[in-house]
Amino acid sequence: MRKIWLTIMAALLVAGLLSACGGNKADDNNGAAATSNGGVNSGAEQEVIDPFEKYPEPVEVSIGRAIDPNYKFNGNDTAEDNAYTRWLKDRYNIVVKHAWEASTADYNQKVSLAISSNDLPDAMLVNESQLKLMVKAGQLADLTEVYEKYASDAVKRIYDSNPGLLESVTFDGKLYALPETTLPSAPLTWIRKDWLDALGLEPPKTLQDIENIAKAFIDNKMGGENTVGIVGTGQGGSLYATFLTSTDHFFNFSPLFFAHNAYPGIWIKDKDGKAVYGSIQPETKEALAMMRDWYAKGILDKEIGMRKSGQEVVIGGKAGIFFGPWWSPYSIIDGIKNDPNANWRPYIAPLDAEGKFNSNQATGSTFIVVKKNYKHPEAVIKMLNIHWGAKDPSYEEAVKGKEMTSQEIPLFIIGGAGDQLEYAVNSLRKYLAGEMSIEDYDAVNYGFATDLAKHAKDIKKEPYDNYDIQYWDKETDQAFFPHVYAHLNGGSTFVDADVNYVRSIATSQTKTMEMKWANLKKLEDETFLKIILGTVPLDEFDAFVAKWKDQGGDQITKEVNELL
Amino acid sequence: MLNRAFTKHFWLMLIPGLVWLFFINVLPMYGILMAFKDFNPGAGILKSPWVGLEHFEYMFELDDSSQVFKNTVTIAFAKMVGNLVVPLVFALMLNEVKNRLFGRTVQTIVYLPHFLSWVIVAGILLDMFSLHGPVNRVLEALGAEPVHFFARADLFPALVVGSDIWKEFGFAAIIFFAALTSINPELYEAAAIDGASQFKRLLNITLPSVLPVAALVGTLSLGNILNAGFDQIFNLYNPAVYSTGDIIDTWVYRAGLINMQYGLATAVGLLKSVAGLILISVSYGLAYRFANYRVF
Repeated sequence: MRKIWLTIMAALLVAGLLSACGGNKADDNNGAAATSNGGVNSGAEQEVIDPFEKYPEPVEVSIGRAIDPNYKFNGNDTAEDNAYTRWLKDRYNIVVKHAWEASTADYNQKVSLAISSNDLPDAMLVNESQLKLMVKAGQLADLTEVYEKYASDAVKRIYDSNPGLLESVTFDGKLYALPETTLPSAPLTWIRKDWLDALGLEPPKTLQDIENIAKAFIDNKMGGENTVGIVGTGQGGSLYATFLTSTDHFFNFSPLFFAHNAYPGIWIKDKDGKAVYGSIQPETKEALAMMRDWYAKGILDKEIGMRKSGQEVVIGGKAGIFFGPWWSPYSIIDGIKNDPNANWRPYIAPLDAEGKFNSNQATGSTFIVVKKNYKHPEAVIKMLNIHWGAKDPSYEEAVKGKEMTSQEIPLFIIGGAGDQLEYAVNSLRKYLAGEMSIEDYDAVNYGFATDLAKHAKDIKKEPYDNYDIQYWDKETDQAFFPHVYAHLNGGSTFVDADVNYVRSIATSQTKTMEMKWANLKKLEDETFLKIILGTVPLDEFDAFVAKWKDQGGDQITKEVNELL
Repeated sequence: MLNRAFTKHFWLMLIPGLVWLFFINVLPMYGILMAFKDFNPGAGILKSPWVGLEHFEYMFELDDSSQVFKNTVTIAFAKMVGNLVVPLVFALMLNEVKNRLFGRTVQTIVYLPHFLSWVIVAGILLDMFSLHGPVNRVLEALGAEPVHFFARADLFPALVVGSDIWKEFGFAAIIFFAALTSINPELYEAAAIDGASQFKRLLNITLPSVLPVAALVGTLSLGNILNAGFDQIFNLYNPAVYSTGDIIDTWVYRAGLINMQYGLATAVGLLKSVAGLILISVSYGLAYRFANYRVF
């Protein structure tokens, strides 16, 4: 026994020595940061800067990368070595290296791990709560000066046309990130219109309509035996997008709450203007009561929260209704390709009792951040200049007509004037109607919208204003089909919709939340799913509210109110 | 005591193992400091401010902690017993099969699942036990109501333990097969001449011969009493079964990596390690006493 104790003591001693070494190392890093920052600042003072200039020597940028395992690259290309990255290297001497890769589903956990271990790549994409944590932790480079010096006019114009965007990532007067210019997005109700037509049903407006349609789909076995009514959240997923982990409402049940004027998972204002947590409001209980009823009737997927993936059910043609944003067709494109009849159409539904279409405003924006000590923060700015700007003539030759996506382009964030989606959709409709020509496009500011138009006539068949699946050519231009299809079929409905947005008051964790949120969230997830499944009575909701308040919720509410 | 030159040899051979142990297991240990700090990733572990026992106090306040702890021990203990008894019984049964080709074929087939990762096995299980999956088809054919297996908190531990045993018993049986082959066949011959029946021979020769190995396997697995199997449960569970299925490791994962509550997650993990250390020490003590197995 004594030997064991000796071993343990020896281990502790060694641990102590190591921590001492660790301390020295941290000091060194800080020192290096100070000098390198100073170097960049003083050296670049008098030069005239060309934001697109090729580096004389190769400059390496290491990044963390989300990989879509289903994406098909050209030939032997990979996310790290493809037409776009090779072009970046040849034309600009910017060499992108992957510090690590993670699947799209695991990316956020991987980022959290990188943040907590302070083992960061030079640059990566993060979400809002990760950004705030990194700012607080002092892990990020101050981009204020490099942005001023190196950002191209086009990039500056885009950010200027999105007022407030750069201010939202400026802390203590320092710019810490390059944000995506996302539009707010709202979950639409996607329905198999071919099934609606076959049964002679009208498109839905209210919750009741959706219930009737789902019931008709099930009763008439539209998807074969065991047709699923409404499919949504899968294993590991959330019933609704929250203020911390927004998933853009893709494949969850948010709209069923919104139609009850319930906003679970975010912080809203009550009648007196005070901040309250949406999940503990009586409206949320109403929504849960209805979902519980629907579940018992078989309207909601019986395997809610237990499937590996809800998308598979849709792609397999077993379900006729799901909720998702305007870009959902991108993610079910296999189902659309496999089944020539699958005519997915979006609807502005369900409306609330007053006929309003509600949504919480997703906070799911993406930000480029740069590590504090990185020697070439301007390389990241340049990459954005290149990605968002008009392309050099060598580009076409390098990519050979293939449309580059987030899988090829490193540090891909969507950038465009604030009205990019609106412009793309509206101009495309006008172009197809013959009211506008390619020359009328503002190709400098809306490059992608112009590309859409160039490809549109190979993809959309007449009549141009009918988006049913039989009026599309899926084969001729396969690379662009998902873009044009999603923009016209989903985008147009969304652009025309009158959405009543409710935005979360808090978008990051407060002091008490850092300690207690995991427990409260677990309580919430467990209670809500059990209420819907019917394994606990509906009134368990009231017990949940009491527990939630008691176990730290009240304290957190107080802190959120202090933010106001 | 062995002579000195000989022990030196042993120590030399130990070096690579010790180096590995040092870098993989000892070096990261200073991270446990996070349990006592308000961890700020930018400042690093050493420069983050101390918060004393705040995380531990909160942990003991939570209703959750005792539930999660209870789930962990229940599932891990059931697995421990199951993974000892089932492979042992299986090995004894297969040992009685005289057709060697058949015996070997069966042995190969049952240990195959051991090599599949839980991600794959969990996917298969979720499908098999889904509402319209094969298991419910059989139940329906027998006239029973379909059961929503993975939504039932009362059934979840049984599914977890059962599937773990199914996956591992073939592989765990290997050590028992080894013990069985080392039994002197003369014992059986003598017993047969004395008129002992097949069952008597099993009871009085085979069983006592493998019992020391069984005791060893059992006591060594005591150290795993707090490891209920993260991979497996993470891939199978959902909020509806948190009450019986959430274990320490899944809780720590959610707290640390989803909610970024690093300090709290470390505190819970540390407590688990301390309890684990005690249990391992006890189990080695027991293993020495009952099976004459020594490490130190």
